[in-house]
Amino acid sequence: MGKDLTIYVSGLYSGSNPQPGVGIARSLRQGFPDAEIVGVEYSNRCSGIHWPDFDRIWLQRPWEELSLDAHAGEVRRVLDEGGYWISSIDLEIMWLAEVFADGHHHNLLTPPLAALQRVGKPAIPAHKGLPVKIPVFIGTDRSDWDLHAFCREHNWKVWLKGPYYEAVRTPTWSDLQHWRYVLSKAWNTEKLFLQSHVTGYEESVMLCAYQGEIVESVYMRKRDLTDLGKTWAGDSAPVPDELLRPLRKIIRDLDWSGGAEFEMVRDAGGQLWLLELNPRFPAWVHGATITGKNLPAALVEAASDIRAAPAPAMSEEFTRVVLEIPVKAEFPLPPLPEPFGGGIGHSMKHPSGLIEFAQSLEKPLAALNGNGNGNGNGSNGKPNGNGHSRPGPEIQVPESYLDDLETVDVDALQTPARLFFEKTAASYFRNAAELAAGLSRPGLEVRNAYSIKTNPDERLIRLALEHNFFAEAISLLEAKKAVDTGFRPDQVILNGPAKWWRRETVPDARFYSVFCDSVEELERVGREIKEGALQTEILGVRLRTPGVPSRFGVPIDSPDNFQRLINALRQMPKNTGFGIHFHMASSSVGVRGWWHLFESMLRWCGSVQALSGRVVEVLDIGGGWFPDDIAKEDARSFRKAIDKVPEFLAGAHQMITEPGKALAQPSMALAMQILEIRRSKGKPSEVVVDGSIAELPMYFFHPHRILAREDGVWRACGRGDAVLLGRLCMEHDIVASNVDLPKSTREGDLLVFCDAGAYDRSMSYVFGCG
Amino acid sequence: MYLDAVSRPVEVDDGVLAASTAEVPRVFERWAEWPPSEISHHGKICCEMAREWLNATDFTALNGGDLFTGPRWIRHRFKWGPSAFPIYWCEAVRKKRLDCGALAALSHEVIGARGIKSFRAQFVQKFTAAATEQWSCTWSRADVPVSWVNDDLIYHEGVAVLLEGQHIKVWDSSAGWWVDRARAEGYGSVVAIRVFAPEELGELIWGERNLIPNRWHSSETE
Repeated sequence: MGKDLTIYVSGLYSGSNPQPGVGIARSLRQGFPDAEIVGVEYSNRCSGIHWPDFDRIWLQRPWEELSLDAHAGEVRRVLDEGGYWISSIDLEIMWLAEVFADGHHHNLLTPPLAALQRVGKPAIPAHKGLPVKIPVFIGTDRSDWDLHAFCREHNWKVWLKGPYYEAVRTPTWSDLQHWRYVLSKAWNTEKLFLQSHVTGYEESVMLCAYQGEIVESVYMRKRDLTDLGKTWAGDSAPVPDELLRPLRKIIRDLDWSGGAEFEMVRDAGGQLWLLELNPRFPAWVHGATITGKNLPAALVEAASDIRAAPAPAMSEEFTRVVLEIPVKAEFPLPPLPEPFGGGIGHSMKHPSGLIEFAQSLEKPLAALNGNGNGNGNGSNGKPNGNGHSRPGPEIQVPESYLDDLETVDVDALQTPARLFFEKTAASYFRNAAELAAGLSRPGLEVRNAYSIKTNPDERLIRLALEHNFFAEAISLLEAKKAVDTGFRPDQVILNGPAKWWRRETVPDARFYSVFCDSVEELERVGREIKEGALQTEILGVRLRTPGVPSRFGVPIDSPDNFQRLINALRQMPKNTGFGIHFHMASSSVGVRGWWHLFESMLRWCGSVQALSGRVVEVLDIGGGWFPDDIAKEDARSFRKAIDKVPEFLAGAHQMITEPGKALAQPSMALAMQILEIRRSKGKPSEVVVDGSIAELPMYFFHPHRILAREDGVWRACGRGDAVLLGRLCMEHDIVASNVDLPKSTREGDLLVFCDAGAYDRSMSYVFGCG
Repeated sequence: MYLDAVSRPVEVDDGVLAASTAEVPRVFERWAEWPPSEISHHGKICCEMAREWLNATDFTALNGGDLFTGPRWIRHRFKWGPSAFPIYWCEAVRKKRLDCGALAALSHEVIGARGIKSFRAQFVQKFTAAATEQWSCTWSRADVPVSWVNDDLIYHEGVAVLLEGQHIKVWDSSAGWWVDRARAEGYGSVVAIRVFAPEELGELIWGERNLIPNRWHSSETE
């Protein structure tokens, strides 16, 4: 069968993340035993060239050496001579679509340009009509501020993805910064995107179509995966009708030719999420042939009208093994590249130079992958993200920052200097107080506490006092400072593992509450209260958040620990109220993660209450919120959470929140002076400033918006090429990267790092000052 | 697997039980009348504390995920192995190893606490003589009866979770995965299944198969 058939198959890489070329060849050989199958490859290091089903190999030079015009001419020639071309390389498919943009060749079994323009990730516009959602995403050309917000919103379970290939988990801000640099550099583009992770099982639809009609299709569930998440085993089944019906319409609309794979994840609730639409067969293509669905042969049959041999189903499932095969004499193995001096390994990635190919094609292909701005469907099914289409990141800075800055005589500053944003601070404290008042309801008061450790500046402590906050202290020295600033002891909450340090400073008065960090402390404090040596209105415990690594609070992760806590609570003095505290930084575990944790803690508190016989009267929840998160969407999450409290803790009359970071962070900025500007190609590349990570220790954890003065006006710096080097002789003292400084920037100019009022202030240290 | 010495009587319609045992096919013959295993309660705070701890831990372990997520953390915490019955809540949560019946009972408890309807499920699974001999050996060494093993077949327990309508998916609490409904033969396949559910629920749909509550289903009965 297929005696006069010549089929070119490209993409023969067969490493741990294989291309489908070999699988396509195996399937074609099954369908057309007599056809001439020509393997096309761009590196003699791709082991697929040795696969015996190839009658011959058309080995090209690696992409970086290739004359694309000449190669395009050759491809056109073989197609005109009656050969068929099945490409397994995304970039080659895009390139061929450009080459044949004026008229798609009927022997080219890949999708046309117009179709590719509608399947680009991450938005995959062509998916409309399918019962799937697109995981929420955001382009990395958005501001750092927006990217950090996206990561928090999605609990830092996000993937940084390249424009064509590669996806990296970025669970922290420094990971994100690092990998953005690496991928941007590799792919020569800022057009990366972040996409939220979907937990579930991976499933795929593979289909082949010719001139807009689906010829054959199959549904596959991954049953085993490689370390990279690639299919190692799977089972196959017919495509369910609810998917196939819309797929027929989509493929018709796209006038699709060639293979395609819809990569999806099914979450625990059964919802399908579409991750990618690959414009080619997947690497497991021959697995489907084993199960009786030979899609490459069906595709060629449709295109050539030459009947393929039927594919008998050998099983409903397939798996992979590793095979050794003989090397063809005409393509002896090339030597291994020399390891870099003192390096580890041989740096073997992408032997055909795909990255270089992408770099050379960046401009023409940009149109195919231009969906980087925020979009996708959130869990509520509505479009999420901002969906703006704008050329570069736009940094939004609160007006009050600029108003406050106007009041500073910046020229008189001795830098690095910390600036107090008085109006900003006052407005944040006022808003927090109003929010708490608005959230309170009959029988359940919501009240703020200011965590002094966040920033012990007296001006902030005073603002807390003026706005009816409690003062939350982790040491008696902090408690003393609160009292010295005007708080009464019965407005002070004591927390933390070493709250009795410097015991001699303990006031002879009643505290509002004491939350013990261990059973040992609870027993000791309980004794002291019974003996009259200590007074507090509320005595309680801090619970260690199970499932999240933490060194603080009473562990409840085992039945024995839980029982020990219950037994200790049953011995507590009866003349105090009882409260429970838990704390986990929302900015670290993510916003949604934090609210789940809250609900989870309500259950624990309910259990503790039921088993100990002590009514939880006060629930103290901390905190670590990012300023933008706490009142987001009119504090909707907060309201929902408070609604739940009575369900679990009917006796609770007060909920204390600790928005320390959310209030302190915006209240201060750090002014630095530019000491030296080093230029590259006429533009500032490395800029030395007199500030450092000693004054900005949170640099590694969250972005800071930077203001520079241009024509006397303060403007936020966008994303650019300059790196701001701190004054310290420390390799990691880089206070900002990828900053766009005004053209007029010169030595002696000031830069103002905003959002530096929380731990940037309290954890700063003296370094390099003699 | 071993029967709970203090188990409740199985609430099945007499007629159904009679029908399912009148001409008992070989595959589930030995276990046809076994009720699902149960964890006993001392009626004191010790067991209540254990249950509270279990359910609160489960909700935390969901980690914000969907309520229909299988409670794989249970299998992660407790290894699968011989358990002696009766076993009480306050003992079970402190064990290092639990058998399939105890693991299924824990899973059923936490899924129910999430507000999701679920039912106890029994399976007969096919393995090989080599596998079942190993298990017989392990159980005998622990001085626990091995009546759950019969040649290359074993009795096993899990949890059926009710989805939309009559659809169910079946959680293998000892393996930490959803049972593959499509495979009815070969190593590890489920060759018979019974779901203990209220009769009034009607037939349950498990993939391509319809299951009558409280009745054994195998290829021999269908």
